[in-house]
Amino acid sequence: MSVFGEARNPIIRWEWIIDEWDQIREALVQHLELTLLSVALGSVVAAILSAAALRFRMLATPVTGFTGFLYTIPSVALFGLLVPYFGLSRLTAVLPLAAYTLLILVTNTLAGFAAVPDAVRDAANGMGLTPTRRVLEVELPLALPYIIAGLRIAVVSTVGLVTVASIIGQGGLGSLILDGLQRTFWTPMTIGAVLSIVMALVLDGAIFALGRLVTPWSNRARST
Amino acid sequence: MIGGVLAQAAVPRDVGVFEFLFGAEYWTGAGGILTSLWDTVVLCGAVMIVATLVAVPLATVLAHHGRGELSVTWMVTLSRAVPTFAIAGLLVPLSLRRGWGFEPWPIFIALLLLAIPPIYLNTYTGVRGVDRGVVDAARAMGLEERNVLFQIEVALATSVMLVGIRVAAVQVVATEPIRAFLGGDGLGRYVRDGLGQNNDNLLLAGAILVAGLAALTGAVFGLLRRALPPGVRRIR
Amino acid sequence: MRKQFEGSDTDAVSSLSLDIAAGSIVALIGPSGCGKTTTLRMINRLIEPTSGRLEINGRDVIQEPVTELRRGIGYVIQQGGLFPHRTVAQNIATVPRTLGWEKGRVIDRVAELAELVGLESEMLDRYPDELSGGQQQRIGVARALAADPPVLLMDEPFGAVDPIVRSRLQDELLSLQQQLHKTIVFVTHDLEEALKLGDRIALLNIGGVLEQYATPDELLRSPANDFVEEFVGDDRGMKRLALRMVSQLAYDRGPVVDIGIPITEAAKAADAHGTDWLGVLRGDAFAGWVRVDDLRNGDALADVPRVRPAAQVTPASTLLSAMELIMTSRTSVAVIDDDGRFGGVVNLDSIRKNLSSEDDS
Ligand SMILES: Nc1ncnc2c1ncn2[C@@H]1O[C@H](COP(=O)(O)OP(=O)(O)OP(=O)(O)O)[C@@H](O)[C@H]1O
Ligand SMILES: [Mg+2]
Repeated sequence: MSVFGEARNPIIRWEWIIDEWDQIREALVQHLELTLLSVALGSVVAAILSAAALRFRMLATPVTGFTGFLYTIPSVALFGLLVPYFGLSRLTAVLPLAAYTLLILVTNTLAGFAAVPDAVRDAANGMGLTPTRRVLEVELPLALPYIIAGLRIAVVSTVGLVTVASIIGQGGLGSLILDGLQRTFWTPMTIGAVLSIVMALVLDGAIFALGRLVTPWSNRARST
Repeated sequence: MIGGVLAQAAVPRDVGVFEFLFGAEYWTGAGGILTSLWDTVVLCGAVMIVATLVAVPLATVLAHHGRGELSVTWMVTLSRAVPTFAIAGLLVPLSLRRGWGFEPWPIFIALLLLAIPPIYLNTYTGVRGVDRGVVDAARAMGLEERNVLFQIEVALATSVMLVGIRVAAVQVVATEPIRAFLGGDGLGRYVRDGLGQNNDNLLLAGAILVAGLAALTGAVFGLLRRALPPGVRRIR
Repeated sequence: MRKQFEGSDTDAVSSLSLDIAAGSIVALIGPSGCGKTTTLRMINRLIEPTSGRLEINGRDVIQEPVTELRRGIGYVIQQGGLFPHRTVAQNIATVPRTLGWEKGRVIDRVAELAELVGLESEMLDRYPDELSGGQQQRIGVARALAADPPVLLMDEPFGAVDPIVRSRLQDELLSLQQQLHKTIVFVTHDLEEALKLGDRIALLNIGGVLEQYATPDELLRSPANDFVEEFVGDDRGMKRLALRMVSQLAYDRGPVVDIGIPITEAAKAADAHGTDWLGVLRGDAFAGWVRVDDLRNGDALADVPRVRPAAQVTPASTLLSAMELIMTSRTSVAVIDDDGRFGGVVNLDSIRKNLSSEDDS
């Protein structure tokens, strides 16, 4: 198939990695930035939506319904819809990516608060904690494992989707894939794909470790 | 060399979004919207059929015997985190080396990996979630094991299974357009061409088509649910 | 029979042997985890015994195909275990359809069973979750009875319904049994229920050890050991009273006369019975007692001071309720027969005599 023949176009040509290291590093950094920006924006919005849904019960259904609706919009379509308005900009990439994180973040946050035992809530009230302090000091920590689990999934899926954002020219590891594809040159393709999967795993592990740090009690429960 | 990627959709820049979407001449004929739609539907349909044939029996049998609880945990994570673009990207060189071309194997396999987790997950939890008392009662009445499985466990899990299949289908249809960026065509081509030609109208029209098909897919499964036997349908 | 679960080094049920008379009700009772459910489920082989024999009508059924065996044994569990995706009628029809009955016969049978367990026919097209807990339990029973199996197993059948419904369902089961004469084995946590429903009670201890297998009366009268004694409680005398009915007493009408008769006739009637008192009826209703000493010639019987019974019981009342009435009133208690007529009186003495006798039911 390949016009170059197999010998000249192996799946990975190691010299290329060394030669083009700057390009790879730039893609990695862009990828990481886009991921963290999107998840950060998504987390802020998800926190607001969750707080609203927790405070006003009747909002819970519309909020989860809306985030669920966002999640079903195809990424290619959402990028495409925004380009005419925001151009081929970082914003065009970050807005959809953040929108996709909302469903999992909100769902898990609500589930986490729902899982707080009534007895614990009663005990907190019984000790005379104000509602705000009860939520911040008792309920939030107990809901944290759920929220962190949601965050892990959000980050992993965002890393995957950032590769798609390369179609609107926002760089990242996806641009290596596209580049390789257009030149029928496998090395950047393979590097881009493999690194994006590695990045997902590393970030997932990092958040997992962070989660254990901030929820030492669930740590202990697991080891016994 | 890579025909699909470089092919231009023959749409002049001055055609409006609605003009394009409602103009019969853009739908019919070689390379029209219908052709792209058909490409997408065939690929997604094939993916869904294979995914269902793999995931449903496997999950049903495991759940029936109470095996593989752990697989559920993996599937929960996987069902939202499969990096389709990266996987397809990895598969393209392999496919080309085998002489299978850019298309459709890499995207087919990547979409399959995307579709299997939700179907597996819902089937497993659906079958496993059937009240043990009900299963016991069925056995106690002398139903053959096969009938306990199909008439009771699978019947009661059907709704949940269908939800899993719907989630998978919507995700597959929503993700399939990246195929246009992997050397193929399908409905994603208008977005690709719109981007490539700096043609916002084409880009918007393409995005609307892609989003519309995903929404339609969800709606079709809503109708499918209505086709279930009344007793099965009411179980959620 | 013996059952040892995999991965457990003790027997869940160890060498249990029960002889169950056809047509009788046996209650399995004991502390939680003692192996009641395990025992019950070994009978229809939902749990295969580790060793031992299971005979029905003298036939060893361990070798039989398990589905065959189960179709001849009805099984009722808590909350019914009804199929939520099938209508009530379809639920009841499960076994007949499995057996390949023709449609008409199945429909007739479903209607017959619905009537038997007291379900209105419009409920047949509903789904189980559209019915109350008590109704679901009835359907569970109807479904178990569908192919007329000679044996019925019930695992805490009335455990999930409230006490009032439970008591009604228990009564219904007893009256069903009067018509059907099934061999029923049921598990319960509730001693009252075991005493009320069981012809015999098997009291199990942890590990499926059979502590006593006896009639309710015997269990209460002479507990086999300390465990049984503690299990049945200190108030077993009371419980025995609750088991027995007024009809089991040798109650006596004594001398009774109609209120309209001349007073001399009345005195003669008392004489004939050798009592110094006399019951007075107005029509069919019991009007009270008069003392022979109070009878004076010339008075109308209606004017003689009467002691009226404080309360009435029926032959179906328990001795316990009769005794409670006696204790809270000053007189004996009048028994009103099923036909509404005066039947006689119950007093503490007659109750005490009855208790000291062996079970005579
Ligand atoms: N499938 C099983 N595997 C292992 N052990 C079991 C199994 N089922 C029951 N057991 C054990 O066997 C013993 C008897 O259980 P069983 O369910 O018969 O008790 P039970 O008398 O019905 O109790 P309860 O009144 O609580 O229903 C218990 O110690 C239980 O833990
Ligand atoms: Mg039990």
